[in-house]
Amino acid sequence: MFVFLRKYQVPVSSCLCVFLSIYILTAAARGQLKSDPVGPALLWILRPFQLMSHAATGWIKDVQESRLTLRAYKADNERLRQKILELERERNRLLEAEATNRRLQQLLEFRSQAATGGITASIIAASASAWFKSCLLDKGSADGVRKGMAVVTPLGALGRVIEVAPHTAKVLLITDPNSGLDVFVQRTRARGIVSGSLEDGPIMKYVKHSEDVQVGDRLVTSGLDGVFPKGMLVATVTSVRKQTVGLFQQISVMPAITFDRTEQVLVVGAEQVPARK
Amino acid sequence: MAIFMIGLFMVLLQTTFLHLFPVVPDLVLIVCVYWGLHQPTAGAVLGAFVLGYSLDVVSSPILGLNAFAMSIVFFAVYLSSRSIWLHSAVASSFVVLLAALVKGAALVLAWAIFLTTEQFWSGAARYIIMEALIAAVIAPLIFALLRRGQSYFENARRPAQ
Repeated sequence: MFVFLRKYQVPVSSCLCVFLSIYILTAAARGQLKSDPVGPALLWILRPFQLMSHAATGWIKDVQESRLTLRAYKADNERLRQKILELERERNRLLEAEATNRRLQQLLEFRSQAATGGITASIIAASASAWFKSCLLDKGSADGVRKGMAVVTPLGALGRVIEVAPHTAKVLLITDPNSGLDVFVQRTRARGIVSGSLEDGPIMKYVKHSEDVQVGDRLVTSGLDGVFPKGMLVATVTSVRKQTVGLFQQISVMPAITFDRTEQVLVVGAEQVPARK
Repeated sequence: MAIFMIGLFMVLLQTTFLHLFPVVPDLVLIVCVYWGLHQPTAGAVLGAFVLGYSLDVVSSPILGLNAFAMSIVFFAVYLSSRSIWLHSAVASSFVVLLAALVKGAALVLAWAIFLTTEQFWSGAARYIIMEALIAAVIAPLIFALLRRGQSYFENARRPAQ
């Protein structure tokens, strides 16, 4: 018997363990397992190790979660930064669209005041040299633009068409030294010519010493050149010098239009331009 | 005794640290397979039973479930160890894979008899396959560690010459 058990110790003990476990299972499932001396003892042995493991696991989890949280924050930060950039681009686009819309609205209102309307054009190029003050429009003879026509904006006179191609037109600005625009001082009706100069910027020429011209006076077109109508704002006087020699005063002016910031214009004949006072 | 302590350590690992991973590898199963292959004694049978019982005490919904499964696994491995000769990592992985499937089958059997099987089968099949594959993958490493531990204790026990 003993020899048999010794020889088949593994199968025998295995079968015993299987039966024992089935017994325990059955008893536990029926609720008949009243006292379990091994379980509490095992739990008592394992408890301190489990507590330590639990603390260590908690620490590892905390570290892991912190890393994940940081990574999430980083991703969020990157996403929000990208969003800000997108919104900034969108905002710039909308502001630009709004500004263009406002300009076109003003131009449209201005155009509606003209007797027979005018030709709306955009400035597509500026002068390539500081020697000349000119610009290029995107409309030409094919659109009805003719040489000598006035180029204006709601804010005032801009210049005159000097060359026309089928689809473009070159405009000589009133600030060019070769330009000359007949004007009145709005307050005193003193006459003169507004022109550009290479030295002091735009000036008002041929105003006699006896004429009353003061800083801040507004200069408007006289209408005598047959191109611009009477009463259109051209510039404001910025300085007046009366020299002892010479017949005329030296008057510096500031154009009503900032040419660099002008994008849309109206090309009109003299009879079409509505006067702005 | 030392090997049994290692088994308890595996129970501890399996119920604490290894829960940090998405799937908990069944280290106790691998230890039982190792005993079945390399230490087929009555003590090892008892060890497998106690380790299974320990798992039941710590985490099973009903006592005896894992004890039953581990006893079955040990016996199956013991029977197969008489006809196979393990000398490679692939072979040990394969045996552990089969043992994990046997354990899964034993658990399903016990579960079906003693517990509810409502919405059970697909989940059980998935867990059995997943746990078997993971156990098979890590088995060579655990085997190597157990072998090294065993030889260390045997050397320590051997009287100095």
